Formats: sequence, structure tokens, C-alpha cells
Amino acid sequence: MIVALPLLTSFLSGLLCGTLGYYVDKLRIATLSFSVAHAALAGAAVGMILGMDMTLTAALTAVGFASVMGTLSLKVGEAKELISMSFFSFFNALALFMIYLSNTTVLATSSVAAILWGSVLAITPFKISVLASTLLLFILYVILYKHRLDSLLFDRKLAEAEGINVHAHAFTILLFVSVAIALTLKLTGGFLVFSLLYNPVMTSIQISRKAHVQQLLSPTLGAIAATIGLLTSYAIDLPVGACIAVTSSIILLVSAIARAIFNYALAKKAISYS
Amino acid sequence: MRAFRGEAIRLSSVWVAYSGSGRPAIKDVSLTVGMGKFVLLTGPNGAGKTTLVETCLGILKPLKGVAELLGVNTKSIKVVEVRKLCSYVPQDFMRPPYEFYTAGHVIKLGLAPLRPPLPYVDNLNDRVEEVANLLGIRDLLDKPIGALSGGQQQKVFIARALVRKPKLIFLDEPFASLDRGSRELVARIVRDYVKRENATALVVSHDTSTISNLSDATVEMNGGRILKVEGDLT
Repeated sequence: MIVALPLLTSFLSGLLCGTLGYYVDKLRIATLSFSVAHAALAGAAVGMILGMDMTLTAALTAVGFASVMGTLSLKVGEAKELISMSFFSFFNALALFMIYLSNTTVLATSSVAAILWGSVLAITPFKISVLASTLLLFILYVILYKHRLDSLLFDRKLAEAEGINVHAHAFTILLFVSVAIALTLKLTGGFLVFSLLYNPVMTSIQISRKAHVQQLLSPTLGAIAATIGLLTSYAIDLPVGACIAVTSSIILLVSAIARAIFNYALAKKAISYS
Repeated sequence: MRAFRGEAIRLSSVWVAYSGSGRPAIKDVSLTVGMGKFVLLTGPNGAGKTTLVETCLGILKPLKGVAELLGVNTKSIKVVEVRKLCSYVPQDFMRPPYEFYTAGHVIKLGLAPLRPPLPYVDNLNDRVEEVANLLGIRDLLDKPIGALSGGQQQKVFIARALVRKPKLIFLDEPFASLDRGSRELVARIVRDYVKRENATALVVSHDTSTISNLSDATVEMNGGRILKVEGDLT
């Protein structure tokens, strides 16, 4: 049970973040989700100071910020990128203030450690069930709106011109991202949660140009990286978040090198035709 | 969605500027286009033609003035619904060589906003094949769109626009990648569709020779303003 719960959490977190990461990348809301992740980090830090459930405060802050930015983005257009980056700095500062106020002289207490670089100590069956429910809900959403999401992923502007509510779908996905980040925060830590959100989709792009393959590869790679990362952290007694981030980065690096070699071979083949 | 009766487009003293730009791309433009019209929008590069089209669709919002699409203010939330009655072929339609979606799938994606979420099983293939036959691209339906030439891709996007059976079609430089024969074919197909369905088409084109004899009216733009309107717009 001690190993099973964290393993299941890692697997589900990787699966959820990898699935969402694909949509985050294609809908070009990476900057927004980056800020949402830091809103979750600040929320968790505030929760720690107030003695509340950190996952809950992280989720509330992230969902609240995502709602504000989702509404604001309708008004401010392209400026949303800059606005969300300003909030990114603000949330980082807020998180650091809270950690400073937590009366710790060394950043190694279990609560602070969980926020910064992840911990498996706070994983409970209830949180796993919430994680699994979020994943199932997102899969249901994708199945229900498959046609519209496909059109949106193919060409966002054309989809908007044809009557697809692009903002509503981007906002919905951002809400899912904020919940996923809040739930994953304690596993990977606030600064490393992106490794599960972005690295798998970047790796999938290196491996295949086909959207449906990327859609399947991204969650698979996320789950693999998270699971291997967790097992590595157990094996060599290092922070779990950092181990997951390093694992997913290594997988990305290997895929990028393989892609470069493959492209080089293709170029050589093309030249040999002449 | 209810059938629309009235004006297709109404722009009243519209000013539009791109985010972060101090210079308006469209200045004090007023334009009313009725239903059943085939309209040519022409002018040099940077005249504001594409901006005008995207303003009509509500993708760009006026800084000043009012833009209405099929009777709905483009600043209203209802514009999302009314866009389902419109089709758009943008100027920058080209897909990269690795794009894996087949031409048939790309055409079918045009029907996505009009389809219920479930079931997945549908009988849309007949509709797709019908419009593909019309444009002479039936044999391209199973090919990846990225593998097609510019002209073939342009026909796929025109097919996507037509398969939606729209009340209003916006075509931005639809003849740019087409040979002479294809230009005349596409112009005639769109013109026939407009007259048969009492729809409206706004066609942006440098090449006035292809459709000037087919269009009901010609709107000439330059420097973000409408310089001249010839023919019957309403």
C-alpha cells in the first residue's frame, strides 16, 4: 500500500497532465497554464500558512485565476500573454513570502518540501479518486466534443469563423489544467509540475507528426515518466518531483536527438536521389 | 437554426485597429450587403480587405462603429451562433507537408459546429463527396492535405466552405493558387450557389477579371477606406 498509492498517483498524474498538455500546446495556452500553475503554488503556500488543506487552496487559487484570465482574455486579446506573465511573477513572490513566513530556517520541512519539490507523504485514496475522476471527466469531455475539438486543433481561426466557441473550449481546458496542477502539485512540487504538462507533448511531437499519434503518445509518455521518476526517487532517495522532471527531460532529450538523426538520414537520402 | 431574412452584412462607421497598433487598419467604413449577392472586394495590398472580412465575421471587433453579421452585432455573444451560418476561406490556408488529416476529413471538419456531440456515426460522406465532385477533387479525398498542391488545397477549403451550406460565404483570395480553368470553375460554382440558395458571397480578389462579369457589385478599398462601390449591393 505504501508503494501502491504513490505509484497509482504518479501514473494517473502523468496520464492526466500528458493528455492535457497536448491540448495546452495545440491551443497555445502554455503561458496561461504556466501562470495557473504558479497560482496553484501560491495557493498551496497560503494554505500551508493558514493550516488548511494545501491541495484545496491550490485548486481554489488556480481555478479562480483561470476563471479571471479566461474572462479577461476575451477583452485583452494578445495582451493576455503579458498579463499572465505579470501574474506569474506575483504568484511566485506570494509563494516565497508564505514560505518565508512559515517559520522554517531550512527548506526541508515536509510541508515546504511538498510545495517546492514534491512529496508522496500526503497522498490519500481520496485524492487519488479525485485525480481519477478528473481524468475520466476530461476524457468524457473530449469524447463529447471530439468533432469541435478536432476542428479547433486543426485551425483555431477557421474554427472560430465557423461558429465554434473557441474561448469556451480554451477556458474549459484551462479549468481542467488548473485542477490537474493542483492535484499534481504535491507529487512533483510547484516548480516542476510543468515537466509533466509540457515534456510529454514535446516528446510526442518529436516522435510523430500525426496528431492522433501525438494524442495517444503524450499521456503514455507522461505516465511512463512519472512512474519511472517515482521509482527512481525511491531507489536513490532523492526528491520525487525532481526525479520525475529529470526522467521526462531525459526522454525528451533522447527523442529530440533521435529526431535530429532521423531528419539527417532523410536529408542524406533526399540528396542521394540527385 | 432559423433561416435568416434581411441584410447579410451591415457596417456603420466602423474603425478597426490591430492590438498594439496606433494606426487603424479600417477607417470609418460603412457598408451594407443584402442577401443573394455575389460581391467582389478588391484593392491593393494593405488596403484593409482581409481586415474588413474578419471584422464582418466578428473575429476583429470595431474600436468604433457597429458591425452586424446577419443582423447580429458582432460584439454580442450571439455572434458565435450566427457564424454557424457562415463559411470562411482564409488567405493563409496552406498546410505543412506533414499535415496528416485527409482532404475528406478537412472538408468534414467544416461540419463540426453543426453536428450534435454524439453519435459519431453519420451519413456526411455523401454530402462531402457531392461537393468534392462539383469541384473535381473526388480523387483527392483520401490523400493527406499536406501532400496536395496549393491549388488542390485551396479547392479543399472551398469545398469545406460549401459543404456547410452557408447563408454567407467569405472567400479571401480564393483564386490565388488556382489555374485559369479552375478559377472560372470555382467562380461559377460559388455564383450558382449564391443564386440558388439566396446566399451572399463576399469574394476578396486581386484578380478582378475572373469574377467581375459574374459579380453583382464591386467594392474597391485602399488605405483602410472604401473608395468606390459599383453595382447593386442590396
